[in-house]
Amino acid sequence: MNHFLNRRRFMQATSSAIAAGALSSTASHVLAQSSGELRLNMSAGNFGEAVMSAFVKPFEAETGIKVTPVYQDIRAAQVGLMVKTNNVTIDTVLLGQANALLLAENDQLEKIDYSIHGQRDLDAIAGFCKHSFGFGSYIYSSNMVYNTKKFPANKPRPSHWAEFWDVENFPGVRALPSGQYGYPGSFEEALLADGVAANALYPIDIDRAFASLEKIKPNVRKWWTSGAEILQIMRDGVADIALSYDGRALALIDQGAPIEINRNQARLTCDYYVIPKGSPNAHNAQRYIAFTGRADRQAAFAQLFAQSPSNRNAFELISEKVARKLATYPDYMTSSFTVDGEWYAKTGSDGLANSQRLIQRWNAWIVR
Amino acid sequence: MEKLQKLGRMPVGLIIPAIAILFVIFGVPIVQLFLISVNAPSFSLVNYQAFFRQQENVFVLFQTIKMSVVATAICVIIGYPTAYLIVIASKPVRTGLIVFVFIPWLTSGLVRTYAWTVILGDHGLINNLLLDLRLISDPLPLLYNRLAVYIGMVHIMLPIMILPLLSVMQGIDQSLLAAARSMGARPFAAFWRVFLPLSLPGVRSGTLLVFVVSLGFFITPQALGGLRDAMLSNFIAVQVASSLNLAPIAAAAFILLAIAVFMLSLFGMDIYGTQDHRGRTVRKSWRSQLSSLGALPRYLNEIAIPYRARHWAAQLYQAGSGSSWSKIAGAVFVLLVMIYLLFPELIVIIMSFSAGPFLEFPPSGFSLQWYRSLFGDPSWIRAFWDSFQIGVTVTILSTIAGTLAAAGLARTSPRPRTFLMMVILTPITFPAIVVGVAAYLGLVNLGLIGTKTGIVLAHSIGSIAYVVVIVAATLANFDQRLEHAAKSMRAGPVRTFMRVTLPLIRPGIIGGAVFAFIASFDEMVVTSLVSGFSIRTLPLKMFENINQQIDPTIAAVGSLLTLMPVLWLVALYVTWWRSRLRLQDAPVNSVA
Repeated sequence: MNHFLNRRRFMQATSSAIAAGALSSTASHVLAQSSGELRLNMSAGNFGEAVMSAFVKPFEAETGIKVTPVYQDIRAAQVGLMVKTNNVTIDTVLLGQANALLLAENDQLEKIDYSIHGQRDLDAIAGFCKHSFGFGSYIYSSNMVYNTKKFPANKPRPSHWAEFWDVENFPGVRALPSGQYGYPGSFEEALLADGVAANALYPIDIDRAFASLEKIKPNVRKWWTSGAEILQIMRDGVADIALSYDGRALALIDQGAPIEINRNQARLTCDYYVIPKGSPNAHNAQRYIAFTGRADRQAAFAQLFAQSPSNRNAFELISEKVARKLATYPDYMTSSFTVDGEWYAKTGSDGLANSQRLIQRWNAWIVR
Repeated sequence: MEKLQKLGRMPVGLIIPAIAILFVIFGVPIVQLFLISVNAPSFSLVNYQAFFRQQENVFVLFQTIKMSVVATAICVIIGYPTAYLIVIASKPVRTGLIVFVFIPWLTSGLVRTYAWTVILGDHGLINNLLLDLRLISDPLPLLYNRLAVYIGMVHIMLPIMILPLLSVMQGIDQSLLAAARSMGARPFAAFWRVFLPLSLPGVRSGTLLVFVVSLGFFITPQALGGLRDAMLSNFIAVQVASSLNLAPIAAAAFILLAIAVFMLSLFGMDIYGTQDHRGRTVRKSWRSQLSSLGALPRYLNEIAIPYRARHWAAQLYQAGSGSSWSKIAGAVFVLLVMIYLLFPELIVIIMSFSAGPFLEFPPSGFSLQWYRSLFGDPSWIRAFWDSFQIGVTVTILSTIAGTLAAAGLARTSPRPRTFLMMVILTPITFPAIVVGVAAYLGLVNLGLIGTKTGIVLAHSIGSIAYVVVIVAATLANFDQRLEHAAKSMRAGPVRTFMRVTLPLIRPGIIGGAVFAFIASFDEMVVTSLVSGFSIRTLPLKMFENINQQIDPTIAAVGSLLTLMPVLWLVALYVTWWRSRLRLQDAPVNSVA
C-alpha cells in the first residue's frame, strides 16, 4: 500500500507514460530563461494587432529581443499565485489600475526603472501613468454614449450625469457598468449625478454613491461586466444611452452604427504594464516599457487603435482627424476627470482595500 | 508485483488510480486551502464567521441552492421523457437524436449565450415576432431575468441529464416490459412498475451531476440574468479576480462543498442504490394499505387483466401496433426539445457568415471572412489540435481510471462508498476557479505548470468524476451474480471483466468517455491557470479577446465543430442505407 501511494514515483510513471504517448511536453520555465526573450501579455484582436505593429515589431527590430505575445485576460490572483509559488512564467502583464496597485501594495511587483526612459518623453507622460510599480502607455475614457436614433443631436439629450440620472425629462433605456469588481464601476458618475464636484470625488463617499445608484437602479436594463458585452448591447440597440468605454463606442461608430460619444465628464484611466516579482526577463521588460513611453510609438499606436497617448508629445505626430477621436485631446481634457487608482487600492485599518469594501457593498446592494 | 495483483483483486484497489490522480493534483492543495480557510496554525473559524455575518452571502447561498434545484428539476422533467423516447426510437433515429443532443456542447458557451440574447432580447427574435403579429405592443422582458437564466442553464445542463439516462435505459432489457404486458399490465403500469424503477440509477446519476455542476455556475447568470440573479460562484470569481487573500475564497468554496454534501445526502446520493437481486418479497403498496376505498376500481382492474394480456398478444402480431396519438405526442415532444437545444446553434451558424466585424443577427451581409480568418491563422488550427490531443488523452486516462473506480465502488459497502463518491465528486462541485487555484498549487509542486501533461492531469480530475457517476449508474442494475457465475466457471478476474462485465456496462463507459472528452475540450477556467501562458487551447484562444469584443471567428469555429458530427452521421446513414439496399438485392433465402 505504502509504495503504491508514493507520490513522486506514481507521478514519474504517469507523466512519462503520457509524455511518451502523443504528447511532447516542454516545461515553460526552461524556455523563459533564455536571455533575449520577453513574454508579454496583451489582449488579442484589433488591439493586439495594433500593439504588435506599433510597439512589438519595432522593439524587436531595435533590440533583437524576441517577444512572445501572451493573449489572455490575466487576473490579479493569478499573478499573486505565480509570485508566491516562485514560478513566474510571464514578464509583463497588462492590468487595470486597481488590480495593479493591489499587487504593488502586496510587494509582488518589480519597481519600474524610470532611469532608462528618455527624459523628454518622461516629462510629457501624464502623472498617473508613471507609477513606481506600473506604467500606462495609453489612456482611455468611460463616457456617456447615445444611440442617435433615440437621442438625435437636434433634440434635447442628457449632457452630464445628473441629466443621465433624470429619467423623467430624458426617458430611455439605460445601461451602466456593474460594480461587482469594485473597480471599475459607476461610482464616480453616481456622485457626479448627485452634485459632487469632479475635483472632490476622492475619497469616494461610498454611502452617497450607493444612495445615488439606488435612484437609477430601476431604470438600468443591464449592468454590464465586460467591454465585449457593452459593445453588443449598444450594437443591438438594447440601451438608448449607456456608460461605455470610448474604444468600444468608436469601433461601432467606425462601422457606421448610430452611436455618439459625449466627452463631457469623461472618466480617464489607463491600464498598467507591470512586471511580476521574479520575472525571468525583468530587464527586457523594463526596456520594453520604456519603449512604449516613446512619443513616436504611441502616435503610431493611436493611429491604429483609438486609445489616447499617455505622452502628450505624441499629439504633435497625430493628424487632427485622428486626435479628435482620442480621450486626451486637449479640448476634452478640461471637462474630464482622472480616476484615482491609489484610492481604490488603499488598505484601511481593517485590512480591506477600498475596492474590496466596494465589492462587499455592491454584493449587499444587489440582493436588497 | 504479487502485492499489486492482490491489491487489484481487492475492491479498494480498483479505486486507487482515480484517487491517486485526485490526491496528487488536487488533494494536497485542497488540504492546504482548507488549512488556509481555518487560519492554520492558529486555527479559527473567523473566515467562516465573516462569510455568514454578511447577510448577502447567506442570501446568495440560498439563491444558489434554489436556482440549482429548479434547474435540476426542469432537467429531470424534460430530460427523462426525452431520453425514454430516444431509447424506444428505431436505431437510425436514435443515433441521430443522440448526436443532436450533444451538438450544442461543441460550440463555445460564449457564443451560445450571445445567441440566447439574440433570441430573447428586447429587440430579439421572439419579441419581434410577437410585435409583428401585433400580439403585444411593448417588448416582453424575456432577458436579464431569472427566466432567462433558467433557459440558459437548462440548455447547458440538459445533455448532462440525458446522457446517464440513456446509458442506463439502453441497458434495460426491453423483454421485461413485454413480459409485464403479456401478463396484462397496462402500458403505463408496465412503465411505472418495471421500466421506471430500473431507470432510477440513471435519474439519480443525472440529477447528481446536474445539481453539483449547477452550483458552480457563474457565466450564464451574469450574462443572461438581472442584477439580483447572482450565484455564489459569481462572488467567488470576483474575489479571485480582485483580491490576493485566499482565505475567504477557500472558506466560501468549502461552504459550497458542505452544501452539496448536505443536499446530496438529503436526496440519497448512493447511485448504486440497494443492490438486491435476491428477489423481493411482494410488498403491498401504501395505497392498498390505506383502506378499501379504492377497492372497486382495483377489483375491476383485476378482472380486466386477463383480457389485456390476450389483447396484447394479439396486438404483438399486428403491424403498426400502439396508439398513434401517443406516438404523435412523443414525436412532437422530442421535436420541441430538439428545437430548444439546436435553435441557438442555428443562430450561431448564421452569424458565422456575417459580413460585419461583430456578432450580429440578422447578419448585415453574407461573407466567408470568418472562415478565411480561421483557416488563414495557423494558431487556430494549432489550438484545435492541442485541445484535441489533450481531450483524447484525458478521455483515455479518465475512462480507465473512472471505470475501475466505479467498479471498485460497486463492491464497497455503502458508507465508505458515499464518502469516496463525494471525494471523487469534489472537483466538479467546487467552483472551477477554486479547482484551478488548487490544481495550480498541485502542479507547481510537480513542476508541471505550462505542460500538456499538467493540463491533462488537471482536466482528468473533473473528467474522472463524470465517468464514475455515469458508469456507476449502469453498474447499479448490473447483476453481480453474473460475475460469480463466470468465476465459478474458472474465469479469472480479468477475463470475467472483459467477457461479462464490460459488454454489459459498455453504454455507460461510452457515455462517460464522451463526457470526459467534451468536458476537457470545453474547459477554460482551470486551463487558464495551469497553462502557464505557454499552451493555448481552443477555449483559451476563444476568450483571448473578450476584453474588447467577441470575435465572430468563434462562431465559425462552433459551426465547423457542429459540422463534424453531422458529417459523421450522414456517413453512417449512407452506410446503413447501402447495406439495406444490398440486403434487399440479396436472394431471399440468404436473409437471416
